[in-house]
Amino acid sequence: MFDQVLFFFHALLQQTGAANFTWGNLVMIAIGGTMIYLAIAKHYEPLLLIGIGFSCIVANVPGPPDVPGGPPVSALLYVVKEGGLFHYAYEGVAKLIIPPLIFLGVGAMTDFGPMIANPKLVILGAGAHLGIFVALILAKLCGFTINEAGAIGIIGGADGPMAIFVTVKLAPHLLGPISVAAYSYMALMPMIQPPVMRLLTNSRERKIEMAQLRKVTKLEKIAFPAVIAIIVNLFFPPVAPLITMLMLGNLLKEVGVTERLAKTAGGALMNVIIIILTVAIGSTMAADKFLTWDTILIVGLGLLAFLFGTASGVITAKIMNLFMKTKINPLIGSAGIASVPIAARVSHIVANQENPHNHLIFHAMGPNLAGVFGTAISGGIMLALLGVQ
Amino acid sequence: MIPDTVYGAILLSIIDFFLSFVVIAGIGVILALFPYLNRLGEIDEKKLREGGH
Repeated sequence: MFDQVLFFFHALLQQTGAANFTWGNLVMIAIGGTMIYLAIAKHYEPLLLIGIGFSCIVANVPGPPDVPGGPPVSALLYVVKEGGLFHYAYEGVAKLIIPPLIFLGVGAMTDFGPMIANPKLVILGAGAHLGIFVALILAKLCGFTINEAGAIGIIGGADGPMAIFVTVKLAPHLLGPISVAAYSYMALMPMIQPPVMRLLTNSRERKIEMAQLRKVTKLEKIAFPAVIAIIVNLFFPPVAPLITMLMLGNLLKEVGVTERLAKTAGGALMNVIIIILTVAIGSTMAADKFLTWDTILIVGLGLLAFLFGTASGVITAKIMNLFMKTKINPLIGSAGIASVPIAARVSHIVANQENPHNHLIFHAMGPNLAGVFGTAISGGIMLALLGVQ
Repeated sequence: MIPDTVYGAILLSIIDFFLSFVVIAGIGVILALFPYLNRLGEIDEKKLREGGH
């Protein structure tokens, strides 16, 4: 009788995930929990971190083996398996359906006025991308292939959809860790960037107040998406799908006669896409796949890319100041790292802490938006040089 | 096109970084010309909104 009860309990235990729990699962659950904590307590990009953190936790709760004697499969991974709802969510990412739709939504929510108003500052959109190339070279030194190194480097562009896009083209097997690194660091930029920004500037520089931007007319705002779409499609066909959708979204917003479409693209559709994207990314964070040497290297290189990108943006702004009559606040340089509008917000906050009367957000949005194009251009050139269509 | 070596990675980085600057600067030049568009006329935003769907 007792033996039968023991046997029964043993069989029951095998049907649960408790027997398959590893220290790696515990580490990843702690990482997921930290993400949720930062989103709730620190308000660090909750739209991204809540979904990624939660699905990271669930992806690390082991279930019973899929087949007798096989490896344990998490509850979430059951849903991710072919036929499961989030399998198709991940396919949407892997088959590059979701990144252009994100750009459509971003375009519909974004006012490119600050970028049009101060064209001098668009150069910061290129200056802040040194991190891409530092990470690329270091990744190659670490033994990755040049295609893999290119995909790792693009994390430094701080542009999630572009990182996914370039990775799928160059090294699709690295999509999981690269998208996790890109989105996690984007969300953690309020922690990553300020120390570098403060290190490279003095108090006097951080207090610089910038003159008010000129008013950009409706005609300019309507012409902008068409002009940029033509340039990108003409010279950078590899990344044209993303920028074209970004510009379509922006045109829907600016023309004024398609308000419904703009609201849907930037509202309901964007929200659906964010839910799918964050769960798809978080579900790749199972310990057995994530806690590998390569992934840890990628995450480390991604952090370096962000640090160097921030630094090079600030330094580019300081170099520009050597030649400009009216000085710019070098803190807006770090906003050239893309990641709209997080990086611009960080520039504003750091400047505001130094001088409470300094409202840098609109000035920082110019380089921030230029950074989106900077990443796209870098990605497009990289794909072209590596012979990838 | 680019060799799969450290030298290739450095070459790719230099070309890409330099070209990015050139292209972004080019976009900046085009944007600097945008105010001239206003010589073509003015768009009445109120009328645009009225024609919306």
